[in-house]
Amino acid sequence: MKSFEFFAAKDSSDAVTLLAQHAANAKVKIIAGGTDLLADLKFAAHGPDVVVDISHVDDLKNITLTEQGLNIGALVTHTQIMRSPLIRQFFPALVDAAHTIGAVQTRNLGTLGGNLVTAVPSMDSGPTLMALEAIVTIAGNGGRRQVPLNEFFVGPRKTILKPDELLAEIIIPKQNLGKPTHFLKFGLRKGQALALVNVAASFWVDWEKNVFLAPRIGLGAVAPKVIRAPQAEAYLEGRTISAEAMAEAGRVAVGDAKPISDFRASAEYRRHLVAVLTKRALESAWTLAQTRRLEGWNGQRNA
Amino acid sequence: MVNVTLRVNGETRSASVPPETTLLRLLRDQFNLTGSKLGCDVGDCGACTVIVDGQPVNSCLMLVGQVEGREVLTIEGLANADHLYPLQKLFEHFGSLQCGFCGPGVIMSAKALLDENPDPSTEEIRDALGGNLCRCTGYTKMIEAIKGASCILRGEEAPLVKSA
Repeated sequence: MKSFEFFAAKDSSDAVTLLAQHAANAKVKIIAGGTDLLADLKFAAHGPDVVVDISHVDDLKNITLTEQGLNIGALVTHTQIMRSPLIRQFFPALVDAAHTIGAVQTRNLGTLGGNLVTAVPSMDSGPTLMALEAIVTIAGNGGRRQVPLNEFFVGPRKTILKPDELLAEIIIPKQNLGKPTHFLKFGLRKGQALALVNVAASFWVDWEKNVFLAPRIGLGAVAPKVIRAPQAEAYLEGRTISAEAMAEAGRVAVGDAKPISDFRASAEYRRHLVAVLTKRALESAWTLAQTRRLEGWNGQRNA
Repeated sequence: MVNVTLRVNGETRSASVPPETTLLRLLRDQFNLTGSKLGCDVGDCGACTVIVDGQPVNSCLMLVGQVEGREVLTIEGLANADHLYPLQKLFEHFGSLQCGFCGPGVIMSAKALLDENPDPSTEEIRDALGGNLCRCTGYTKMIEAIKGASCILRGEEAPLVKSA
């Protein structure tokens, strides 16, 4: 690894100060879990001049319910997500997604924020958070700003973060708390595998009319960034819930995907996976919606 | 240079090393604890697995500056002069290793699992070893050894019959 200067931030405001001090005249990288960054830096021809360590920044490690919704600190690890009673209760899809990332060792170090900031299109945290219309808080020297996650990604390994900014928290808005959601990943192995395609499907149910309400579908590894599937969502909105509708939504979602062929899979195979995984994710979200209704969640929007 | 002080296998250790040094390099090159192996160096193989504050991690993916004040347990911290740790004893009994390069990492992953889950299912053991690659023996005999060790650590009699 190339040499660099190392600074450890004590809290998030200290981190922002360190970034402001160094980002103007040096190439700065933030290290959180380090599972992506160090793997990259060991092979990089030109490393950063300065590394700012935020792994001890405790104020970004909390999972809390607030007025805005469910706030997940950017430094929450994948293991913490899997074990959080709040997330297990409201969003088992996020638990499933976290469980498919890397292996135990990488899940213990790797953070939710890091997974988003690395911005690889196959990231396993992306589709579920996109389907749940997550918002991210970005901290910079001028204060904090919030943007929809949908606008956070620019392209492969590119986000809107400026060199002196850091991702502080991820918020699932209040109106989506407990929204029945399911995540599916297709990789070549269970552990240590990147997704060929990953999908999350989420919808509320109008139980009187038996129709889909606010259906949201997130797709990963089929475009330069994690995307929503607007055509499939429009197809489902207000439609009567049926197995045929879910299968058709899968076929429509293929039109929303723009996969490429690479050494992991062909574009054609990825399109096939989009149709199958979208259908199955919808079916499992429907099962979850019905189960929750039986358990006494009323399964309504703003419940 | 970064000055770092941490606890390794119960002892306080300090070093002054360049900031790009990983925890693995610190353990191997500064503290002469060469049980943790350098395999892929990018977090895929698990040969460098150690336990930091109770959690198994890839020591090749932590910088020294990140382990200040932490509690690190390596393979060297398990046995004493007279006795192997039960996991080590059972790996020996079942012939769970061949070349042995993955062994320290596998055993540290298994140790962390059993600390948290004293009676894991086969599925839970497989999940815990998902980040430890073994290319010679395979995993069947490791799983037998981990199940056996879990019995001993629970104070029960271990099934010592080998499958093949």
